[in-house]
Amino acid sequence: MGELRTTGDHPPWEGLAGTDRHAACVIAARTGNRSALDVLVAELTPLVWHVARGHGLDRSTAEDVVQTVWLAFLRHIDRLHEPRALVGWLVVATRREARRTWTPAKRETGLTDEVADHLESTQGLPEDAALVDDRDIRLWRAFGRLSQRCQELLRLTVLAGRAEYRTVAEALAIPRGSIGPTRGRCLTTLRTHLDAEGGSR
Amino acid sequence: MNDIDPRDDPRGFEDTAVLSELTRLVYELDPPPADLVERVQFAIALEDLDVEVARWERAGSLTGVRGGQPGTITFTVDNLTLMVNFTSTGARHRIDGWLVPAGEHTVEVRVAEHESTTTRADDGGRFVLPDVPTGTTQIVVHLVNARGERGRTVVTPTIML
Repeated sequence: MGELRTTGDHPPWEGLAGTDRHAACVIAARTGNRSALDVLVAELTPLVWHVARGHGLDRSTAEDVVQTVWLAFLRHIDRLHEPRALVGWLVVATRREARRTWTPAKRETGLTDEVADHLESTQGLPEDAALVDDRDIRLWRAFGRLSQRCQELLRLTVLAGRAEYRTVAEALAIPRGSIGPTRGRCLTTLRTHLDAEGGSR
Repeated sequence: MNDIDPRDDPRGFEDTAVLSELTRLVYELDPPPADLVERVQFAIALEDLDVEVARWERAGSLTGVRGGQPGTITFTVDNLTLMVNFTSTGARHRIDGWLVPAGEHTVEVRVAEHESTTTRADDGGRFVLPDVPTGTTQIVVHLVNARGERGRTVVTPTIML
């Protein structure tokens, strides 16, 4: 594959932000611009990571899922008919991949959104991350007791930029009008769990 | 950092104290591994972008082969199975592999910051790479059909060896 070097100092995504920037990168990447791909990977890997982690995958499995999603993206880059829909595509692809890698017992029954809503996650806590103090531990426990649906929504809405978080919520199949209230309920539950863990501050 | 749009919250559900905790959680307590972006960039720096991804079969266990432990890993995609066994030979590795269905497929082992090593599987689908450098590793299989014609390309996610 030939590489189109951005010999000028001004790649087409320069000065752009959010969806515009990523769409410009997708278009450039289609013509073989490797720098554009690298920009997308650098800027959107945290999003893919948090979708995978919010789906209850341990860190090792989440790493594989992140790589698999980006490799799959290479194949789909020409077929992504709307470059501005990249974030939505990544969220959907990551959720699908996360479900495939679910443990065999759970994979058989499938993890539907309805099940996810009611399943209190016991995975997803940072088994190898450094929890520096009691407050961190309380926060992790409280967060881990939320439904997976809440964990996923809260991670993504904190992470995604304002322009993109609606796209994210749409990819989670939450009706636009209920994004705020749904997240509000999740936050209220998180506060309740935090209080039960001995206070949030 | 909190991109909270007040228009989504007409009834004041949001709790800024909890939101700041949440931000800390996402950005500080559970960020992606520091080298993950670099590894993805290595994994996708392929000649041919039209690849199929083989998935790591963990057989129900959540623990994989990490941190240089020897062992066998199985990858699958569609009807293809790739089994690879890694044996440490000091600073380097011996790789014994087996492809099912068998065929004289070309197997390329990419290691970050090293030249690729390439071999061809025998008619039983087995291949050996006796001396592979240690590092972020990816296996690329160029499949051939029964008539020896080149077919699709299958890649694995990177493995840390």
